[in-house]
Amino acid sequence: MTRTRLVHQKATRFATALLAGLGLALLTGCSLADVFSLNGKQSTVNVAGPVAQSQQDLFMVTVWVTTFIFVVVGAVLAYAQIKFRAKSEADEHAVPPAEAHGNPLVEIGLIAASVLLLVIIAVPTIRGIWYTHDVPEDEKGNAIEITATGYQWWFKFEYPTETIKLPNNAGEIPLVTGNELVIPAGFPIRVQLRTTDVIHSFWVPKLAGKVDMIPNRGNFIWFKADKPGYYYGQCAEYCGDSHAIMRFRVIALSPVAYSKWLENQKQPARSVTAESLAAEAGVAHAEFASLKTGTGSALSGSVEFDADPLGAWQTAQNHEAGEDPALIAKGRQLFQDKTCISCHAVRGHEGIGITGPDLTRVGARSTIAAGVLENTHQHMHDWIKDSNHFKPGNKMWFGGFNLLEEGEWKPNPKMKLDDQEIDALVAYLHSLK
Amino acid sequence: MADALAKSGFIGNQAAHPAKPMTIFKRPTAKTGLVGWLTTVDHKKIGMLYGGFAICFFLIGGLEALMIRTQLIVPNNHFVSARLYNELFTMHGTTMIFLAVMPLNAAFFNLLIPIQIGARDVAFPRLNSFSLWVWVVGAILLNVGWLSHFVPSWKFGGAPAMGWFGYAPLTSKQFTPELATDFWVLGLQVLGVSSIVASLNFIVTIINLRAPGLTMMRLPVFTWMSLVTSFLLILALPAIAIALIFVMFDRNFGTNFFEVSGGGQPILWQHLFWVFGHPEVYILILPPMGYVSEILPTFSRKPLFGYPIVVFSGVAIGFIGFGVWSHHMFTTGLGTVATAAFSLATMAIAVPTGVKIFNWIGTLWGGRIVTRVPMMFALGFIWMFMMGGLSGIMHSAAPADAQQQDSYFVIAHFHYVLIGGATFALLAAIHFWFPKFFGRMVPEFWGKVSFWLIFVGFNCTFFPMHFLGLNGMPRRTWTYDSNMGWNEGNLFASCGAYLLGIGIFTYFAVLVYSFFKGKLCGNDPWDARTLEWSIPSPPPEYNFTAIPTVHARDAWWYEKTHQEEIAKEKAEHIKAEEAHGGIHMPDQSWFPFIAASGLLIGAYNFAQLRLPVTILGNQVLATHVPLAITGVCILLGACYFWALEGPAGYHIHLDANGNPIESEASHH
Repeated sequence: MTRTRLVHQKATRFATALLAGLGLALLTGCSLADVFSLNGKQSTVNVAGPVAQSQQDLFMVTVWVTTFIFVVVGAVLAYAQIKFRAKSEADEHAVPPAEAHGNPLVEIGLIAASVLLLVIIAVPTIRGIWYTHDVPEDEKGNAIEITATGYQWWFKFEYPTETIKLPNNAGEIPLVTGNELVIPAGFPIRVQLRTTDVIHSFWVPKLAGKVDMIPNRGNFIWFKADKPGYYYGQCAEYCGDSHAIMRFRVIALSPVAYSKWLENQKQPARSVTAESLAAEAGVAHAEFASLKTGTGSALSGSVEFDADPLGAWQTAQNHEAGEDPALIAKGRQLFQDKTCISCHAVRGHEGIGITGPDLTRVGARSTIAAGVLENTHQHMHDWIKDSNHFKPGNKMWFGGFNLLEEGEWKPNPKMKLDDQEIDALVAYLHSLK
Repeated sequence: MADALAKSGFIGNQAAHPAKPMTIFKRPTAKTGLVGWLTTVDHKKIGMLYGGFAICFFLIGGLEALMIRTQLIVPNNHFVSARLYNELFTMHGTTMIFLAVMPLNAAFFNLLIPIQIGARDVAFPRLNSFSLWVWVVGAILLNVGWLSHFVPSWKFGGAPAMGWFGYAPLTSKQFTPELATDFWVLGLQVLGVSSIVASLNFIVTIINLRAPGLTMMRLPVFTWMSLVTSFLLILALPAIAIALIFVMFDRNFGTNFFEVSGGGQPILWQHLFWVFGHPEVYILILPPMGYVSEILPTFSRKPLFGYPIVVFSGVAIGFIGFGVWSHHMFTTGLGTVATAAFSLATMAIAVPTGVKIFNWIGTLWGGRIVTRVPMMFALGFIWMFMMGGLSGIMHSAAPADAQQQDSYFVIAHFHYVLIGGATFALLAAIHFWFPKFFGRMVPEFWGKVSFWLIFVGFNCTFFPMHFLGLNGMPRRTWTYDSNMGWNEGNLFASCGAYLLGIGIFTYFAVLVYSFFKGKLCGNDPWDARTLEWSIPSPPPEYNFTAIPTVHARDAWWYEKTHQEEIAKEKAEHIKAEEAHGGIHMPDQSWFPFIAASGLLIGAYNFAQLRLPVTILGNQVLATHVPLAITGVCILLGACYFWALEGPAGYHIHLDANGNPIESEASHH
């Protein structure tokens, strides 16, 4: 046996050991099935609406065609590698094979075959482009129009057809929510995509592929949720520091529940007093798990929450048990005194700002900070106290709690809050349902 | 025969210069030491400098990648801050494309093209040196922002953090006021200058300096692919040059190309960027297709199957590559017709790419496959590139792409193309041509160990990313929550990345060892086929004792099988060339290096034009304008004297056996 052969065998043994070691690490470390899981909350494979389904069907066509190509070409390549391998040192230095330069028939045949295979993909692609582009003609009458606007780093949702009359005949404004888009299941939804700053992208994988929100450009997307459900979405175009945590939810309700939700949303913000609480006696109040500290490591949903997110969201619509009118009143006062109102709107209360998300019903949202934190008292407290930890670079921290003075960020004395004050704010915000 | 020689360009046609050229420096003559390297015009030394710098940046870019994977190894991690993470992925992309793969390809252009076409140097040797040093300037400008992490008084705001694609309006002063963005804009601009200059040089070299008998259809495939790449570069780079000028004007002079409040159109940046950016993909991958087309025939011991089709498909890729840019923009609301058109064009480009794979397999077929390390990397290239190509076909189906775009599926796809494809081919090429330029072999065993580590590590890192993407994980995300179903995939990918890192480290450690201790080798250790293997390892400065005459494709293979005929021919050529005054070599020059230094001073100060200059906290100048002007003056002055000093040059004379006897400065 010559030296080169020996080297080769040693290297092969090394490769085998490497693969075996890796396999062992896998078995002990984590299960392979989890590595290749496609059942996540943002799965593009396990989908819940016709647009995502058509995209998934087309994807599977590409999977089958390319897998076929890979298997056939790979088999020929593997065969050639094994069959024509130099068997020995002598073989390597034997007289070289005949000088063949090519075969036009083989070449043309292979080109024709490739083109044919691509046509199999091209036909459904063209059909899919038109289907996914806009709501089909026969469904246009049912379509619900919504406007979504991207901000660094959260989403505003407006319902232009759901208007609210302002007091004193001051005109009408559309219903506005933030970070949680509520829609009726079974209806086509057409969302106008806008942005106020940089490019964002609207992506709810289980409902539809993404479309970008581009400044000075009127993009839109359409989708439909087959069934009521709680769907996860996320900005999909890099948009600066906290792009990773610019998330949102789509909550699809039955048409009846949706109308009820709309009706409640259009009311002015809820004011809690001892009298109003007395009048509520006997109404079911929320004592759901998520208000306590849940289990698990996820910030956006405890194990209890994730077991039934739609249920948890529905529970969050109920008023909380054990509300303290005095604490809530203190919170409402602080919300003015600490200048929160200049950036956040609370329709019917003092808040009028438009820089940050509308908080008129913030207590009824299942998450805060744009889908990042489950909406518990503790999370709301932590968020107000140190929002930069959860969302680096956010405007509430830079420009609110801290102000730029001579090139340095300094704490804003007007917004200084101690823990008791934050608790009061949390009580107020959680009373807004 | 003398007629044929006269056409080769280095001999004859040397007009007598009327007067002594005017200059401020004596022409440097040092062949070694710092001066030798800074002033060199030798294409092999320039190639090695390109290669050395590029490998350093390749390792830096790799380190950035490992930091990214470490941040993502567990959910809600705080290993790096969001801002630093964004800097890391921006610079990882920018570095790997512009400072690693492109200059590694440039290194091989320099090292191989003149020898493969039987020339003694490139057409414009001093311009070649200028390209190199300008590239270094661009690399410095791009990375200078990192310094502010280490030296707080350098207020550049860290490295650039708006992505390698720099989508407007994220690059506007409103969203990234930091100097880092200005440095990024200027750095890319400067790198573009370097690439355009180098490309023009190589186009002229390949078209004009081919040895007698070397027709276009006898050109080695690598040289062909380099020619196509050079054309792509000079046609694609102006698009990004214009776009970068727009950004620079928006940031500094109040224009509104992308400025939203002034009615600017951010979407315009995307079109301009990808009109450059998609051909760029082929700029990265065509030269690697060239390496593989040289390596496969050598180790299959038969010529490339379907040479004309491989060449034409390369050219076809170059053409179609300019018509598919909007497939990067399927989610920007192009409308149905445009989306359909770009979808179909993208599918069409798969055909010439597939043709290449068929021909590589055809080359193996019936051959005698010798699995040396370069061949293993080349075979790995075919497998991995095939996977990257097939997931590319998946992306061409626009509606399906709406789910994959900007997800980890795309990351998997293009790393299969750029690591499994370009990088595997580059590692094959480095291993293959190392003996030629350093005269030493790289040990087989350790080469194979590094191959398997890289191959397994690479697949463990990037294969699960297909699934992460299909499972909805978006790219460019600093962190993710633990309940999304992405924990295991990310853990696995990060472990794979460490293995890949160990593999890359092993590969280069073995090269360093081989540089000092590798087994010495002769002209042609692989029994290869092209002209570079006909000359000594390492090659002499003048490459060929006599300009070869090419009789066939795979010129050196032909020479090996027709030794008597060639020996006779060569003796005649040496005589003829001696009659023309010996081997003419270009003189070294300081001016390319000085011009590039001027560009560095100018660009560095231009980026911070309106800020005061401070030294140790004391303001010394109100603005950077005087320093920027100084830099421009140095640049222009150097170009002026460069033009006046003339090419000059000297002659090398050979004895009857083809050994150099003396060299003499030319007195024209």
